[in-house]
Formats: sequence, C-alpha cells, structure tokens
Amino acid sequence: MKRLLLRLFVISSLVLLAASAHASSRPRYGGNVRVLLRDRVMSIDPLSDEDRPATRDRMAALTFETLTELDAQGRLQPGLASSWHAENSKRIWQFRLRLANFHDGTVLTAADAAASLAKSNPAWKFSAPDRQTVSIETPYPVQQMAEILALPRYAIVKRQTDSAGAAVLIGTGSYKLTQWQAGEHAQFSANEDYWGGRPFADSIEFQMGSSLRDQLMDRQLGTYAATELSIDQLHTVEQNNQTVTLSRPSDLLAIVFLQNDSGGRPGKKPVDTRVREALNLAINRAAISNVLFQRRGIPASGLLPQWLTGYEFMFGEATSLEHARELRADAAAFVVISPISLAYDFADPLAKLVAERIAVDAREAGIIVQPYAESHINNKAARSSINADAVLLRTSLESLDPSAALSARMDDLGLFPENTAAILGATRAEDLAQIERKMLGGFRVLPIAHIPQALWLNNSAHNWQQMANGTWQLDQLWIEGAR
Amino acid sequence: MLKTAFKRWFCALLILSLPVAAAAQQETASIPAAATEFVQLILSRSGSPPAVAVTFQNLAGLPTETQETLQNAMFNAFRSANVRLVKPEQSVVEVQITFSEDWQGYVWVANIQQGPNSQLVIKKLARKQQAASSRAPTLTIRKISVWQQETPILDFFQDNQNLLILDPGQLSLYTSDVGQWRLRQTLGIPHQYPWPRDMRGRLEVHDREINVFLPGVRCSGRISPPSLDCRASDDPWPLDAGLVAFYSSRRNFFSGLLAGQSAGASVVPFFSGATWQSGDLRLWIFTGTDGRTRLFQNELASPVAMFNGWGSTLAAVHSTCGSGWQLLTSSPADTTRPDSIQAIEISGHDAVSVSSPLDLAGTVDALWTAGNYDQVVNGVLHSPSGKYEAFTLTVICNQ
Repeated sequence: MKRLLLRLFVISSLVLLAASAHASSRPRYGGNVRVLLRDRVMSIDPLSDEDRPATRDRMAALTFETLTELDAQGRLQPGLASSWHAENSKRIWQFRLRLANFHDGTVLTAADAAASLAKSNPAWKFSAPDRQTVSIETPYPVQQMAEILALPRYAIVKRQTDSAGAAVLIGTGSYKLTQWQAGEHAQFSANEDYWGGRPFADSIEFQMGSSLRDQLMDRQLGTYAATELSIDQLHTVEQNNQTVTLSRPSDLLAIVFLQNDSGGRPGKKPVDTRVREALNLAINRAAISNVLFQRRGIPASGLLPQWLTGYEFMFGEATSLEHARELRADAAAFVVISPISLAYDFADPLAKLVAERIAVDAREAGIIVQPYAESHINNKAARSSINADAVLLRTSLESLDPSAALSARMDDLGLFPENTAAILGATRAEDLAQIERKMLGGFRVLPIAHIPQALWLNNSAHNWQQMANGTWQLDQLWIEGAR
Repeated sequence: MLKTAFKRWFCALLILSLPVAAAAQQETASIPAAATEFVQLILSRSGSPPAVAVTFQNLAGLPTETQETLQNAMFNAFRSANVRLVKPEQSVVEVQITFSEDWQGYVWVANIQQGPNSQLVIKKLARKQQAASSRAPTLTIRKISVWQQETPILDFFQDNQNLLILDPGQLSLYTSDVGQWRLRQTLGIPHQYPWPRDMRGRLEVHDREINVFLPGVRCSGRISPPSLDCRASDDPWPLDAGLVAFYSSRRNFFSGLLAGQSAGASVVPFFSGATWQSGDLRLWIFTGTDGRTRLFQNELASPVAMFNGWGSTLAAVHSTCGSGWQLLTSSPADTTRPDSIQAIEISGHDAVSVSSPLDLAGTVDALWTAGNYDQVVNGVLHSPSGKYEAFTLTVICNQ
C-alpha cells in the first residue's frame, strides 16, 4: 500500500512539474485555487464555537477583515483602520477607519464596526463618535489594543438575517463567500472593488474533511494548490521532493484539568494539586516530541513557545519520576487518589498516541490515567458536559504578539479569565513572563508539546504565505497557468 | 568530481560566512552599551545591592568568544556601579543571566533571586540582518543602492541635484545637500479607483519636466518649481527608447497593444519588454503573462524564439561589453524566495547567460531602463524586512 501511495505521489509530481515549467515572479491574475482542508468547519462566523477554530479562521480571513493586522515579521500594520491612538491611561482607544465597502455594496461605518466588536467582546464599550471613528473604552488598561484587535475574533462582520430568518454574514475582505456547504465545501470569489485592489486569483475553493491519502488514491493531488498535512504524513511527502512548508512549532498540546471555573462539569471533584504536579513531572515530553511528533514538535514547558518569547526555558522542569512518586505519596496521605480520566480528540490519531504515552508515563509514578476519545473537546460549550477530569487540547497560536497570543490562548483553554486584565495591562516582557509563571504554578494546565503546522504546496501556487504561527496570508496569492 | 564539489561547497561556505562575520562584528560593537543598560536594570530592580553572585547560561547558540565578550561587558558594568562580584555562598542576591533568543532577535533574561523572592528582567535586542552576497562574475552586474524607505517605490529618477521617488500615493522630491538627500517637496497623486495589487508605475524626467504613468492615471509637472497635475488617462507608457505600450489599468501588465514607433502592432499581454538595434536587426523581447518570453526580429507579427523559465521583469542596458546590449532579468522566484538578477545576451535566436546571478535579499519589484535609455537600469527591491530599496544596475566588462 505504501509503495502504491509513493507511486501515485510520483505521478502527481510529474503533473506538477509540467505545470510549473513556466515560473515567473510577477503575479498573474485569474485562476481558481483549490485547497484541501483536513478538518470540517460548520460555520464561518469568527465567533462561532467551532471544533477547529484555526481552520475556520483560515477561510474567514479571506472575507472578514480586522482593524489592524500583524505582518509576517510580527509588525503591526493598518487593516480596516488606517490610524489609531490611545489616551495616556490606555483605557480609551480610538481607531480611524479607512474608506471600505461591505460585499453588499454598503459603506463600512464606525457604527458597523462598533456593533461587530461589541459582539466580540461584550465586556468592553464600543462607540462611534463619528462616521469614521471607533472608540473603545475598557475597564482596565490595554497596552496592546491594536495587536489584540488583529485577532481573528475581532474581525468586522455585518450580521443580518435573510427573508427566511437565516443568518447572513457580510464582510469587507478581498474575497466574497459565494458558496457554502457546512463541513463540506466553500468557495470565495474575488472582490473586484476591494479597497486594497482586486486579488489576483478569481476564486479560492476549499474542500473540507478530505484526507491527503484519499486524494493520492484518486490521483487528484495535482489539481489542488495546497493541502494541509499532519505530522505523520510529512515523511511520505518529503521523500518525493515535494514542497512542504512548516510553520514554527506554534500549536500547543496541553493537558487542561477541568474544574467548575474552567468549563468543567459542575460538581466534578478536582484532581489534587500534588497529583497534578506529580503527573507534570512524570511526563516524558522529549519522547513524545521526538518519537510521536518525529522531532517536528518541541517539548513544551510554557504556554507560549520559546521562539516567540525567548523565556519559555524558565518554566521547564526536568522529568523526575522520583519526585513525582514522592508527591503522589504525599497526596495519598491526605486524599483518595482516583484514576484520572483524560479525554482526547477522537478525530486526531496523534492525540490518541500522546494520551496513551502519558498514561504509560503516569503509571511509572503510580498515577492511573485513563485516556478515552471524545468528540468536540475543542468546543468550549461541549467541553462543559464532558465527564472527564482532564482534556488533552491542541490550540493554535493566534497571534505573533506575545500579549495577544497569551490572552487568546487562555481564552481557548478556558483558563484563568481573572488574569486577562493583567495580561493586557502588561507593559514589559518580564511582566508577561511572571503572569505565565503564576498560571503554570497551579498545574491546572500541563504543557506537553509545541507542534508546527504543515502544508503541501503545489509548485503552481505562488506567494502562499504561511506565517510563523501557521496562519495563512493569501492576499498576494496567485496561480500559475491562469489567464 | 569530488574535488570540484568540495570546491563549490567551500566557496559557498566562504561566501555565506563573510556576511555572518560582518554582522557579528557589528553586534560586538554595540555590546558594552547594551550590557551596561541591562545591568543597570538589574540593579534598579534588586535595590542596588553591594554584592551579587552572577552566573550565565547560553541558550542562543552564541559562539564562546561572543559569550565571553558579553560576560566581561556585564562584569565591567557591575563593577562600574560599585557592585562587588562574589561567590553564591557569599551573596544574598543571585543573578542568573541567560542569553536566550526569540524569532526576532536576542533575549537576555536575568532571574534575580533574593531569598524567597525572585524577579525578572528581560531585554530584547534586534538581530542584525545579513547582507546578500554576489558570486564571482564573468560579466559583472554592479548594484548601487540609491534610497530606502518603508513604503513601496514604483520608480525613481536621479541626477546630481535631484532624486525623485515615485510611490503609489505621491512623488517625493529630494535635493542633494552636502552628500545627503533632503526632502524638498511631496506632490500628491489623487486617484479615483483603488489601485490594483502589484502596483506599478513609471516616472520619466526630461529637461526637468516630469511625466508619471500609473494604472489609469497620468501626471505631468516640473521639478522646479515643483508641480504635478494628475488626470484619469489610459495613455501608453514608455518602456524604453523605442517601446511604448498600453497598460491594463486594473491589472499589473501591459495589454499587448503597442504605441509610438510600433503603433498599431500588438503582441500577447506582457509584464515587461525591451527593444534595441543590433546591426541591421531591430529586436524586441517581451515577458508574456503566460510565462513565456518571446523574441521578435524586425517585425512583430510572430516571435522568432520563445524562452521558458525567465523572470517576468527585465530591462535592456547598453554597454561596451559583448554584443553591446544585455538584458537584465529577474529570476523566476516568487515573493516567498529571494530574487536574483542575471545578464543575458541575444545571439541569433538564442539567449545566452553572460553573468552570474546577482543574488538579492528580497524580490525585484521593478526594473526600468533609466531615463537616458542607455547604460543604467533602475530597480526596486522589496526586502523581507518590509523595506523598499531603489537601486541602479550597470554592467562592467571583465578584463
């Protein structure tokens, strides 16, 4: 079977080689870009509670824009806002909008932006002092407001209902959503009147929930411009000299202990702190990264990766079964230690392997971990009804700004909402580091690994920018062979 | 065979290591100041203790020599602040300094332990960018940087007194002042419709008269007194001395319809083109939007040769080398990879490479034959750092 897959890949490669004979640096207009996504997305609304928010955001970014953006170097750039300023207290911010139109032809106004932002964050006060100015008032200082507003969840969306009462989402982006079959297929067409100039491709089409293996079997890979890959598929693809791009190890795989205040089932008895710490010391992260993630992952000790902050190394503590056993024994003197039920994503085969490996490591320290598969564990609402002590979660890195990334990650993990003000008010890197250290100190979250996102790219696709955190920037994308 | 391969590797290693060494030297020069500032921060957080114990850790992969330079600079900074450096058992304040790094630069982290309390000091330092290198040439392309800015450059003009930079929103006029370009005036360019992506523009200056060609817009004015009037226009753009062509106002290419001396003729839509006279032959070359570069001789009805794998941007340059005319072309790389420029001569129906590629740290956004239509090509480079650089290219014959 493996030989067949390889042979099919070689055939696909030859097709691609022929297609890439006419390379060129100047972008070409036209063409339909087809993209294969591993996961299924049920709604494109940036605020929907999705199992795969990162996949949703990849598509949503084509049609919904944020007021600001972070470029590939992590520098702040204007988006729908052309300028901004804050009062000294950093509690009141004003953003000046550029002239832009929604896809229905109406002009974007500050009132539209304020209404959209208010949905994104009901705790803050958004207003429109004039047609082009959005004012934001927060109960605490927000140092990095412009970076925060670049997060996908702050995308500007005009929400309406059609005559049948169905929700209609309208954006301002360079592509318009023209076809949507939830969980199956999405098509976006070029916005001819986009304020930043019409995009090069005529359309971008996403096929969801289809595996790379299926496409290889169907000999269809050559018709796609790009395909998401999982780490275990990299070896096959790289063997055939295909173009694979890897982001930096940005996704966080972590165990989160469910408690009433972190989306856990009401009434569930929390796992003792000493047992959580013992488990933390028992997990062999190096083995997980080197073996299960084929050296593509990096052992995680912090919530943000070392490459982003430069200070994750401070949180590391070497695996120590001896210390783990001592802690476990210490806990056993005071409480009854029950087995820890650990839910992992049933749709992620690697998550299963990691959970099983954790159970093996835990047993060495005298802790029983019982892994089992659950659906929708990344969905915050669904998580509250899960009957598990802990979940193994994989969250994407939503921002290249450490402050915005940490606040988004905390939100995704459903942890420590009380720290939001401190994170957003931090003025120095050391303040953020101290907050992170404090959050890790309670062992409510046990970071396991930072994992990169992988992408196979057809040679005919150009300017496909995969950012350091794995997000895609497709605004300059163009395709070879287009007319 | 093995020897040749080894030589190639050795040369590549040498070329690669030169800019690294230069960058390291630059970094070393700023070390004492940064180290002093860092130590002052540590002392202010720890309440300026009379004695500290300091240990170091290197997680940034710094060479031993650099690490020692850093450590010594920090020791000196402590001593300059009248703080004694002692062993851990003799001190109440222990400072663990880690030379770490993130994706953008170096991160120095100091963990200050005072009894049960600990504090952090973090300092970030930008990592210097490495310069691009060029390989040993046969015919040499010489690049001279003229100007750098954060916003896009479409085209530029320079003489001894003036530098004009065309960007999508304005034309900036600089005058020479003791060897420095000083901004004299910016002239706005109003336009009704959004500019297309991959925005392009052409600037021509003759006898202090300015002509600007942008998608769907034409401006004219003067250098002195500075003036510029813009209007909606589909006037054809001048590409070089004998080539004038209509531009697709909402795209990034020429429609293929020619004007000027070749008025009425048309070729396939193209990104860039050039024409020159070689003996009795008039030659034209166009980089088509279909990825093929077409060569025409004497008439434009059908190409005499087609080439694949060329970059889409080219310009002709007149020199005293070889046949007297060379084409400078960009590489087929897209913006995700660094670009290069190579000189090519047309010999009969063949294209012959006559220089090594000049490797560039970015993407070539534009190559235009300079205003005198002779020995200089003006180029614009977009670097991964986001900066735009205007530069000139000339061809130097090898002895």
